[in-house]
Amino acid sequence: MKGTNRKKMSGRMTFFLFTLIPVVLYTFFYVVSVINGVCYSIMLVIGVIVTSLILAISLNSLKIFKTLTKSIYFVPAMIGGVTIALIWDQLYYRVIPVIGKALGIGWLSNSLLMTGKTALPAVVFVQLWQAVAMPTVIFIAGLQQIPDEQYESAKIDGATAFQRFRYVTFPYLLPTVTVNLVLTIKQGFTSFDFPYALTGGGPVRATEVIGILIYNDAFKNMRFSLANAEACVLFVIVALFSLTQLKLTSKGGTD
Amino acid sequence: MKKAGKDERIWLVLRNIILLCGLILILFPLWLVLINSFKSLEEAGKNFFALPSKLNFDNYVELFTNSNYWIFLRNSFKITVISIILILILVPSVSYSIARNFNKKYYKTIYYYLLMGLFIPSQVVLLPVTKMMSKLNMLNHAGLIILYAAFSLTQGVFLFVNYIRGLPYEIEESAQIDGCSVFQTYVKIVLPLVKLMISTLLIMDTLWIWNDFMLPLLILNRSQSIWTLPLFQYNFKTEYSFNYTMAFTAYLLAMLPMLIIYCMGQKYIVKGLTAGSVKG
Repeated sequence: MKGTNRKKMSGRMTFFLFTLIPVVLYTFFYVVSVINGVCYSIMLVIGVIVTSLILAISLNSLKIFKTLTKSIYFVPAMIGGVTIALIWDQLYYRVIPVIGKALGIGWLSNSLLMTGKTALPAVVFVQLWQAVAMPTVIFIAGLQQIPDEQYESAKIDGATAFQRFRYVTFPYLLPTVTVNLVLTIKQGFTSFDFPYALTGGGPVRATEVIGILIYNDAFKNMRFSLANAEACVLFVIVALFSLTQLKLTSKGGTD
Repeated sequence: MKKAGKDERIWLVLRNIILLCGLILILFPLWLVLINSFKSLEEAGKNFFALPSKLNFDNYVELFTNSNYWIFLRNSFKITVISIILILILVPSVSYSIARNFNKKYYKTIYYYLLMGLFIPSQVVLLPVTKMMSKLNMLNHAGLIILYAAFSLTQGVFLFVNYIRGLPYEIEESAQIDGCSVFQTYVKIVLPLVKLMISTLLIMDTLWIWNDFMLPLLILNRSQSIWTLPLFQYNFKTEYSFNYTMAFTAYLLAMLPMLIIYCMGQKYIVKGLTAGSVKG
């Protein structure tokens, strides 16, 4: 009696271990990749919005070589994500360490993609290199709609350059900022080419964003249903942002 | 007053520094790719940053003769052109029929059905789509082209339906009174009116399809002879990882077609892309 009970118990135990441990593990991996994805998106969004805003204001006030500079700044948008990722892969391997050694900065001296802490920002930087182009152009279009009289009257009232930005430029640009924000968040969450070509998710899952996790589970680990479940969660996240974008643009918030 | 002038000067200096840094950051990697594609491996190993001692086309010759670059270029070209033709036939005509029959339930259902695709990123459907295509025996160029046409339909129809509904109906009405059939009205009246949107769609989708990596990775990764250029580049990394000057040459050659097109029509391209990305 006792023996069978124990057998049952151990049977239950093995069942428990064999089902629960993978579940816990995969939940853990999924949470890790969602956290990675969120970190990735936050870094990308802040980087893209700040950089493209600064670039747009700078470019818009440029007097000479304006068209040429603008078209050079748009070149990255023409190049495919994989090409950019592979070029930067080489640069991270061959150029950045040289610069790091020359400047005597420790963390720059070995390849950024190899260390867990710096890998994710390094991948974000490469995507940033490409993703800045489009928001910059959208911002410039937004800037050109601000009437010059506003600046002139602000100048007469004695506003400094920063005050003019804060009280004239910024309120006019706010709708454009929201559009760029939503576009970039979507890009961040669905990022695939850059992490895949640069690191493939490594080192130790440090750059495993949601897209990579789904791909790896589906085609490397052959866990189809798991991959589909993960995809559903991604769908919910992206759908929310798409809905926001649709609402914003159909209201005519862009122009 | 004097203070404002000083502010202005500081801003000007700061702005020029920022723009210069940005330009260097964009052009320096491309410059490195360009100069190293002309170097042999030993020369690049000696000094990565120096100009090549002479114009050495060995990498290019090697790539053109010994690898299947031309096949991949032809594959990429074929897929892009056929998909774009298909898209340019499908999207405006579907959108026109939806836009002018928007009060009918059938068309409205189709519209919202297609619109649902806007909310689904391609990562979400990558597994079911691949399974479906492999069951249908369509893991080839034809399958990929059909997928591109289908994926572009959501955004395209969304853009076009809104645009066409904004056009005045009177022009089409008068054409019909003059004896035009629906098809004639579509070709002679509507298509010239949506020319701007067609160019936007053309630019957006050409760039997307030419540079796309994920769908070819899923659909075409079986055999080398059907690869596209992005797949070739990615696999170059593993195949020739020791020979990086050669890899640079390959990257440069893959970028080149798009960069040439960009140089020719940059104004339209920038405009079209931004219009598409904001509204889609």
